[in-house]
Amino acid sequence: MPDLLRGSFVILSFLTFSHRLAAGFRPLGFAVTAWLATQGAIAETQPAVSLGEKLEAELVAAATPSERGRLVALAADTHDSGYIDLQVDLEMVLRTAGGRSTQRELSIKQLEVPSDGDKLLVVFSTPKSVKGTALLSYAHKQGQDDQWLYLPAIKRVKKITSKNRSGPFLSSEFAFEDLTPQEVDKYSYELLRTAPCKAGDCYVLQRIAKDEHTGYAKQEQWLDTKALLTQKIDYFDRRGELLKTLDVANYQLFDEQHWRALNLVMNNHQSGKSTELRWHNYRFATGLDADRDFSANSLRRVR
Amino acid sequence: MRRWLVVLLSATLLLMVASALRANEYQRVVFGSFSTSSAAQRWAAKVAGTLEVATQVLPFTSNASQGFRVASQPLTPSRCLDVQRLAQAHSWPTWQYAESHQVRAQKQPVAISSAQSQSPKAVLALSAGKADPVANALSKQPSSPVSKPPGNPIARQVEQEFDLDLGMQSRSYLDSGNVGQDRWQASTSLTLQWQRSWQDGRRSLTATPFLRIDSQDSERTHFDMRELFASAVGNDWELHLGARRVFWGVTEFHHLVDVINQTDLVENIDMEDKLGQPMVQLSLVRDWGIVDLMLLTGFRERTFPGDEGRLRALLPINTDRATYASAAQEHRVDGAMRWSHTLAGVDFGVYHFSGTNRDPQLRLVSLGANEFELRPHYTTIDQTGLDAQANLGDWAFKLEAISRSGDGERYAAANLGLERTLVGAFGSRSDLGLVLEYMFDERGDETTNSFFERDLAVGARWQLNDLYDSQALLGVIWDTHSDEVIVSIEANRRLGQHWQLALEARLFAGAERPEQHSLLALLVDPKQKTAALQRDDFLQLEFTRFF
Repeated sequence: MPDLLRGSFVILSFLTFSHRLAAGFRPLGFAVTAWLATQGAIAETQPAVSLGEKLEAELVAAATPSERGRLVALAADTHDSGYIDLQVDLEMVLRTAGGRSTQRELSIKQLEVPSDGDKLLVVFSTPKSVKGTALLSYAHKQGQDDQWLYLPAIKRVKKITSKNRSGPFLSSEFAFEDLTPQEVDKYSYELLRTAPCKAGDCYVLQRIAKDEHTGYAKQEQWLDTKALLTQKIDYFDRRGELLKTLDVANYQLFDEQHWRALNLVMNNHQSGKSTELRWHNYRFATGLDADRDFSANSLRRVR
Repeated sequence: MRRWLVVLLSATLLLMVASALRANEYQRVVFGSFSTSSAAQRWAAKVAGTLEVATQVLPFTSNASQGFRVASQPLTPSRCLDVQRLAQAHSWPTWQYAESHQVRAQKQPVAISSAQSQSPKAVLALSAGKADPVANALSKQPSSPVSKPPGNPIARQVEQEFDLDLGMQSRSYLDSGNVGQDRWQASTSLTLQWQRSWQDGRRSLTATPFLRIDSQDSERTHFDMRELFASAVGNDWELHLGARRVFWGVTEFHHLVDVINQTDLVENIDMEDKLGQPMVQLSLVRDWGIVDLMLLTGFRERTFPGDEGRLRALLPINTDRATYASAAQEHRVDGAMRWSHTLAGVDFGVYHFSGTNRDPQLRLVSLGANEFELRPHYTTIDQTGLDAQANLGDWAFKLEAISRSGDGERYAAANLGLERTLVGAFGSRSDLGLVLEYMFDERGDETTNSFFERDLAVGARWQLNDLYDSQALLGVIWDTHSDEVIVSIEANRRLGQHWQLALEARLFAGAERPEQHSLLALLVDPKQKTAALQRDDFLQLEFTRFF
């Protein structure tokens, strides 16, 4: 009976504070982040309970490992929406087992479309042989995504069939499904354990994609228990053997609410190849326009 | 027709004036955007105090999300740059923001004067909250919490790019030519690309001169301004003025609906190299699609390989004696309109083109006893075209169709295509694309200006998804009436970051090899359209260096 009481108190307090939690979890834009670090933090919007503490209380009330797993995934998911639009530059380093490497630089524009999937424009700047090549993608919550490729040599916009989810992204060790938004309902979960990790303590969450086209039997996602940020993911191939490990480092908080990792390294244990992603120059809510920046015309304009 | 052109021209001029006026408008420097008004005001005060610039908090909505932007008062463009430089000294990212109707429609902005700075009380409050989860999260990070943009953020406003491609090409032919031309042809090409843009790309100038120097063919040694144009871009419109390249179409083997630019045939016989077309292009983006209005000023004649070059016609083509159906000759002003849209997953475009035919008729002219030459004759045509593509799963269905009048009797032609992509083909990480296309021309054997009157084509594109962006393309075109066959192989691979190696081979079969006495007979035989190319099987290697 006391347990039940405690449980309802936890739920009640969660409901009461959840909106403040959401507001409080948006610090001050990345310029302000620096300022905060030197000046101390602000008291005004500070939530009563941190995200991690909140979740811990919830987990006590959950019965099964799969319920607990889903709770972790849901809590971690609160970070991401509401970015409106973003622009970012990506540097990609591909390495072979033999130590050869090649480098790609891309710039990315993304527009949030609350009623449907997001719009994405990727433009290549190096290597020079593919400079000006661009990819425009309209994700859809229902049905097939729309994708167009722009080939600058003949100024052609070509509608392409959306890539199989398990295929490699730009010849890297990342599959398309590793980089697309991780919707909570697209996986089933199980909370395996809590274990020490580089960020302190981590939840180890097993997730299995419901999509039959996935390239993985399962994934093991490590999230730190305080801010619930992904620190590491182990990918297991369809035979159940460890295929790849993603290490996530250097998280930054932008515009009070958007956590973004600036370094991602994917190591393929079976081929010995690796891909490093370095994100630069994140900008949010820059005033991108659906027509001006995400139409077939904007593809033809890229340089 | 003329009235239509005048209307289009004056509308274009009006828009140009309007856009030029808008270009001089004041701009704001944005110092960040926030989801709460209080956070935005704190940052606005900090910026105002530090940079000594008056700041405002501007509420905005985008896609139903509410936010607050910290921006300067409207400033002149040069003052904007100064403020941005000041901000950069503090590693604060900024961007410029053109005052638009969206912002003006919002509530009265909250003004914060530059004199007002952080109060001691506020600073006290700031140092108190050590338990904040953000501070916790930050303190556990090993590296600096500020992301330093690697580039110069100001450079994004006025941007200049300069690229140079240097190509070294070698073509080896299996046989000597129809009139004894050499079996080896070497050439060098230079493509320069220069672009300068302002206002985050809303205004730009682009120039792309191209030069090729050929060892064998003086006609192939040529210069062209592929692009030389000025652009103005608004939220839902674009205006381009100058020489451009515009591609329309969906199929792979034959670009039937692609009508705007003239083919630079001396470059390659695949008709994919085009000459710059001078134009005024206005493009409007609407909910119901994109509308392009084009005024094509100044006609470009097709280039043809010279007498001593390869891949040429059976008889010499005298481009200096080209004739026109129009009295205005090459000075006729042409026009085109196109509407393109996506409906129910189908991308389509419909256009009408009225103007000088880009496909010349080659007229046989007798110069004396047993001496003949061909002269291009450019008719004036009206052409309506349609291109459409629907993707279903891994399959793409394609259609291109035209109806043309003014070039003989009105006729129709169409391309039908099917493309399938196999991801992870052969159990590897490579992709295989398979293409099947059928090309049809109503005129059948009377078709004079195209190889593709009843042809079937199959192609395979193999993309290795490796470090070097390697890919290969195999195509076979088969004329179902005459059994003529063209095989083409194209492959390329990057060598390091700055070099590329490309291989190209074409084989021609199924027609008679021309002899001096049979030239005239072959010229008019609809089953011998590729006779001129039968001795021109070649292998081409090209190294390109990108600067």
